[in-house]
Amino acid sequence: MHRAIRLLLLLVAPLPAAAQGVLRGTVRDSHGVPIRAAIVGVPNTTLYTQTDPEGRYRLAPLPAEGGDIRVRVAAIGYVPTASTVSLPPGDSAVADFTLESSPLELPPLDVVSTKVARFGDRPATSVVQVPEREIDQRAVNTVDEAVDKAAGIQMLNGQINIRGSTGYVQGLNSRVLLLVDGVPVNQGDRGGINWDLLPVDQIERVDILKGAGSSLYGSAALGGVVNLTTRDVPEGTHVRVRLTGGAYGNPPQAVWRFRDGTGLQSGGDVSGSYGTATFGGRLAAGARHSDGYRQQDEGNHWQLAGRARWLASPRTRVDVSGAWAVDHYDVPLAWCRQGECDDRGQAFQPFKVATASLGSWTDSRKAYVAAQARTVVSQGFAWQARASWFRTNFFDQRPPNGSEFGIADRFGAELRAEAHPDSTRTVLVGSEVTFSDVTSDIFGNHSQSEFAAYGESDQAVGVIRLNAGARIDFLATDGGSLSAVVSPRLGGTVPTDHSGGMLRASIGRGFRAPTVAERFVHTFAEGLEVIPSPNLRPETAWSLEVGHTTAPLWHVLRLDAALFWTEARELIEPRLISGGKIQLQNVTRARIAGLDVAILSAPIPDRLTATLSYTYLSTRRQVAGDPSASGPLAFRPRHLVTLSGDYSLGASAVGADFRYASRVERIELEGFVDARRVPVKVLDLRAGWKQGPVELRLLAANVLNYIYNLVPQTLAPVRTVTVTAVWSH
Amino acid sequence: MRKLWLLLALLAACNGGLEPERICPPSLVGLCGTLRFHGTIPDSTDNVFLAAYVTFPQNCNDLINNRKPPIPGSVTYTDSAAAYSVPLDPGTYHWVLAVWKKVGILTLSPQDTALLRVAGYYRNPADSTQFGIVTIPAGGTVGNIDFRVDFDSLRPATDFVTCTAQ
Repeated sequence: MHRAIRLLLLLVAPLPAAAQGVLRGTVRDSHGVPIRAAIVGVPNTTLYTQTDPEGRYRLAPLPAEGGDIRVRVAAIGYVPTASTVSLPPGDSAVADFTLESSPLELPPLDVVSTKVARFGDRPATSVVQVPEREIDQRAVNTVDEAVDKAAGIQMLNGQINIRGSTGYVQGLNSRVLLLVDGVPVNQGDRGGINWDLLPVDQIERVDILKGAGSSLYGSAALGGVVNLTTRDVPEGTHVRVRLTGGAYGNPPQAVWRFRDGTGLQSGGDVSGSYGTATFGGRLAAGARHSDGYRQQDEGNHWQLAGRARWLASPRTRVDVSGAWAVDHYDVPLAWCRQGECDDRGQAFQPFKVATASLGSWTDSRKAYVAAQARTVVSQGFAWQARASWFRTNFFDQRPPNGSEFGIADRFGAELRAEAHPDSTRTVLVGSEVTFSDVTSDIFGNHSQSEFAAYGESDQAVGVIRLNAGARIDFLATDGGSLSAVVSPRLGGTVPTDHSGGMLRASIGRGFRAPTVAERFVHTFAEGLEVIPSPNLRPETAWSLEVGHTTAPLWHVLRLDAALFWTEARELIEPRLISGGKIQLQNVTRARIAGLDVAILSAPIPDRLTATLSYTYLSTRRQVAGDPSASGPLAFRPRHLVTLSGDYSLGASAVGADFRYASRVERIELEGFVDARRVPVKVLDLRAGWKQGPVELRLLAANVLNYIYNLVPQTLAPVRTVTVTAVWSH
Repeated sequence: MRKLWLLLALLAACNGGLEPERICPPSLVGLCGTLRFHGTIPDSTDNVFLAAYVTFPQNCNDLINNRKPPIPGSVTYTDSAAAYSVPLDPGTYHWVLAVWKKVGILTLSPQDTALLRVAGYYRNPADSTQFGIVTIPAGGTVGNIDFRVDFDSLRPATDFVTCTAQ
């Protein structure tokens, strides 16, 4: 006991304020080009930072007594390096680092969510990263387009599927949690994700954690977690202007033509920032317009985003960020079937909507503001606090049935502590509170509260790293009685060679609390009444994963493979009940098993890289009280293949992405909706040119103009050619 | 680069995406034909749809619960005639009819009959006073199921079946 108290005092004993060491310097590649967002830190401590656009870093506070400090530097696509730096007592030192390019190098993952501090180590679960370079290369305009290109991920009409986690339930939930700089931003009423909350130009990196993550993140992390890291505010004055314009392809068949001209899109973003070593702030504004690629598909988007940082003391950093976005768009609810429009003798018109639904539109407004403070008390102890507010406000005009609206405020607060008792152990403990308040004519007026406490420990045992943790969440609706959900997790990694090969295994429990919308929705769908279900229980799932990452093979490729298995219970699905009504019920037990394989290849390093990823999904469901309803889960393709290639030469680069998803075996409400569906085969081509502060990108998405749908009666995007110009100063 | 073009050609060759589909395609399992419209379209019209019954309904519950398909598609009714098709399971259907629907929400209950009227039905080609019987073979389509829809003669369900509640 006394030893534990001494250890605690040692951990929290602050570094002397008067004479703290500071390490400064730059990180560049072998050609002298600055590397942005490289992680610089002292392994197994609370001390780390990242480089700015000029490759500069400032690591503080280091021990006042000085001495030799082991510093490790890592960046996506480079060989990590570690060096011992001599720091004079109470003084600062300069250390510049050069990283060798290595496309096969696995990226550092210490900041997957800012919750897991494992500097330089790979976690025990699969993670996909979409770095800034890839976002730029792909010239995407929205965040979901960037996420959609990641291996093993599929977006279904705005709903994200990680290893088949969510399926598709229009606008009512997500089994994936979205974080912005570690702050949860799933909607307070529907639990879904607003991918248009942030401009893509402000995103520095996307990290996608696959599998149940509720042991740290709580509800909604049933199938995975997506964390968006926004750009930090660098020192100096910076301006960035991004302009984009494009055109949609016309229907490939004359009988499907629905307009005389060509649909266009355009947009612009501008951001400016100013920062010193102590303060920094950035403001960004933008707007987009799209004519859409089908009838009644026009949309407008406006946004503002900002971020500020303040180094309140050498040990404390405060970040405040926020965004506000307004979308006003027409809604092509479902494509026209025979008789619903001027069908020209066709059984369906995928580019047109039913005449009765003409005039449908949505006004969607959302805003968030978050403040975070992190204090490094000592090398072995740091604490972090955050508070956030996220508001969504939608208004749907749906002729001939009228209109619907919903306003949801989601308030959140979290306090956590990170400790490194010794060089082999990391401990993380924290508590989190979330309160959602909903006012809506279809969901009613309700509130939902979640209180949670969690802890996780990471321990090195020889070459093996083990981690274990658990979280307990207490849930209450409308101030009623609390129900508790416990989410434990256990994982470990074992290096299999000295070149980065690693075996990993993990098992964890995830859960998703029913949303206010699921409990209380009262509306009409497909002409049927949807009635409330206030006694819904949380969905739960156990996820198991075993994976292996090889060392580079023949110096040109690296292989990563993972077997995964999820047993889910009490999944909430719509059921047709007596009286011809639809109700959401905890009726489904499901199994999702499969294989994830990714091959990263760099036959000509620095010039030619290629990635191939394949996900095999086997799903099965059992519905309580309905043995005839067993079969595969809806909206899960059995095969998902992504193939990407990039070739760069000097200032120019070309690339291609091909995506294949097999035809889904089952859809929801089959027999009630048009069941037409086909496999996905989409090819994107892109080219880029960068010279000094100017960058030009050309993207031809779905270049073959492959006509397909991902969900019933909803045409997926057709060929779209866009040109993007970026000027940075 | 040549490999890239080969890949493109391969992808283009195995297109397999959604294709235009005439109302009565060979791939349809069900029935299709032409409706010919007469009379004045009521202002309260929501839509007109096709329904089929394996056995003739005996009461209002049968009328709602045994209807195929349960949620029917619409038929264009603003021209003098319209082609239609209905996907149906193989089997023999003893009543194929066009249903006029008034504006309102269906509940899949006998109360729906308050919103529905029989606008016309397929008749026996040999004896037009009798209902026409249609047999859909396994994997096949039955065409030329043509009949007349009369907006001036919309008949309530009670003309055909016994309903205890409407």
